[in-house]
Amino acid sequence: MQDRYHAELMMDEPDFRKRFQSIRRRALVLLTDVIALSYLWTLASYCWNRFVLGTGSYITLPWWAMIIIAIEIAAVWENFGVSLGMHLLGVRLSSRSEESNPANHALRYLLWHIAPLSLISFFFSSKEEPWHDRVTHLYAVSAAEVEEKRVSWYRTSWKNALALIGVLTVLTAVGVTDMDLYALFTRASRTGRIWTRLLNPNFSLLGSGFRLLIVTIYMAFMATIFAIVVAVPLSFFAARNLAQGIIGRAIYTVVRVAISITRSIDAIIWAIIFLVWVRVGAFPGVLALFVHSIADLTKLYSERLESIDPGPVEAIRAAGGNKLQVILYGIIPQIINPYLSFTLYRWDINVRMATIIGIVGGGGIGQSLYQYMKVSDYSSAGMMMLLIVVTVWSIDYISARLRARLN
Amino acid sequence: MDEQLVIEHLSKVYERGEVLALNDVSFTVKKGEFLVVIGLSGSGKSTLLRCINRLIEPTAGKVFFEGVDVTAASSRELLRIRRKMGMIFQQFNLVKRSSVLTNVLAGRLGYVNPWLSVIHKFPREDIELAFKNLDRVAIRDQAYKRADELSGGQQQRVGIARALMQEPDLLMADEPVSALDPATSHSVMKYLEQMNQEDGVTVITSLHFLSLARRYGTRILALKDGEIVFEGLPSEIDEARFKEIYGDEAEHVEVS
Repeated sequence: MQDRYHAELMMDEPDFRKRFQSIRRRALVLLTDVIALSYLWTLASYCWNRFVLGTGSYITLPWWAMIIIAIEIAAVWENFGVSLGMHLLGVRLSSRSEESNPANHALRYLLWHIAPLSLISFFFSSKEEPWHDRVTHLYAVSAAEVEEKRVSWYRTSWKNALALIGVLTVLTAVGVTDMDLYALFTRASRTGRIWTRLLNPNFSLLGSGFRLLIVTIYMAFMATIFAIVVAVPLSFFAARNLAQGIIGRAIYTVVRVAISITRSIDAIIWAIIFLVWVRVGAFPGVLALFVHSIADLTKLYSERLESIDPGPVEAIRAAGGNKLQVILYGIIPQIINPYLSFTLYRWDINVRMATIIGIVGGGGIGQSLYQYMKVSDYSSAGMMMLLIVVTVWSIDYISARLRARLN
Repeated sequence: MDEQLVIEHLSKVYERGEVLALNDVSFTVKKGEFLVVIGLSGSGKSTLLRCINRLIEPTAGKVFFEGVDVTAASSRELLRIRRKMGMIFQQFNLVKRSSVLTNVLAGRLGYVNPWLSVIHKFPREDIELAFKNLDRVAIRDQAYKRADELSGGQQQRVGIARALMQEPDLLMADEPVSALDPATSHSVMKYLEQMNQEDGVTVITSLHFLSLARRYGTRILALKDGEIVFEGLPSEIDEARFKEIYGDEAEHVEVS
């Protein structure tokens, strides 16, 4: 009885899954290497063009030629050494206790070019390894099975590749951003007039600036309050550990995708969209902050939910509590303070963002700051900046103090 | 009814068939027994206890509690069945930020009107019962402290008081003393023994130490790799059986 049951549970497992995983891992290794090598090639050719030839183009070869070369180099790399992809995915080439033979590596490199055929037949065959592994006595095995000598970093090819990618990335960054240190150090005096005006603010604007400031603070307040109402319930659907069943998982995915798209669109872009939608003023600014805050708070809240202690939840379930009681007694006491803390933090961000949003026409003090700057009235702009600095500093301070008490 | 809990061919498979946590486990528990489940870490003790009240859904097999098929119960029926099965956990599973009293009252949630529990309103009798149970485990004076201000042994006593709020017929304890030092272990085990002997509550507990199992158990069940390898009286476990359960390299460790 016992054995029959055991057999039923363990033997029914189809072998296809294992083989599919093996094939997928090989494909991912190649993909990783090709991406890394193509990136390296692109950077190298850009740096060559920019710093040696003095032109601005990125690629000297057509893209398809670059890919073919990258695949070929990857093939050499993977068959004769440990490539970056092999390292990242934990794959090694092993001769399985037999003597390693260089000719086998060369043969495997040649056979590698028909590996797709070998892998397709492998998927349907009953053999443990694909044909091109068996012929060359070199098997793609998990890194955990192979004992490796310690080798210094400069003699390890994947580390060399990473170092090269790092250096070339910095060089490319210097090139594409038109870094000009000469201008930075020689032309500072041209801004002298702006600085003197900014530092002599026009105090006659104190009253009107203060009124604009109040608008800005309330914009942030409105956006935060309404975002809480939406984000708190939404966060329960966006927490992986609470998403159960097919429907739960589907909702989780939809909410997660929606908030990451919303978050990735900057609040300024949202402000421009809402300006067109509901006309210029503080209200589109509120809406922009509101939408962005929902996404941000939902993400922060749901991440907190994902790290709750599952113990109390289990205890309430064991005591016969229903789903609502599990949330009220097992989850909420654990999240209430972190939620308040995140909300304060977001309100703090919203005050700062509200001034920026004013620049595109979202109302409040930011809008008049921008207008004064545009007409070169720097001393009026200085007054606005002074008010913003004082406000942001004090809200930052208050929010930090309150959050410290919550933790 | 003599046999309070009947387990038939219970199996649990994790991760799409790759880990067999319980393999065809069958046994019965009589009312008033103090059954100790022993075995190495990963032998399936926790899974077994959680399959009984379906905190973990068993893959195959049946569980009957007082004649009712737990495995076939609807989710509403399951809540009623769970009310009668108290549970105590290795890590206490208290809400650390809540007060001791709130934690204890949470054990009563299966009984109270769900709508009143929304506003954290408990009947007066339940609050009195909570204090009575805190009294039983001798921590009445800690009722308004935050749970995480208490020591480990005290926290586990809160866990016991919470389970008592269910007025259970069966008390399950998953490694109740593994997180505690030896001296505190005995005080906690003695409360379980007291409930078993005075109230007639059936106790099923998993334990790490054989010495504790011998001292408190009326019957012992040993698991190894998800299968029952021994079932019988504490006195029947000799050196050979010990090696069979814990492996050849195991040594006796005493908790005195």
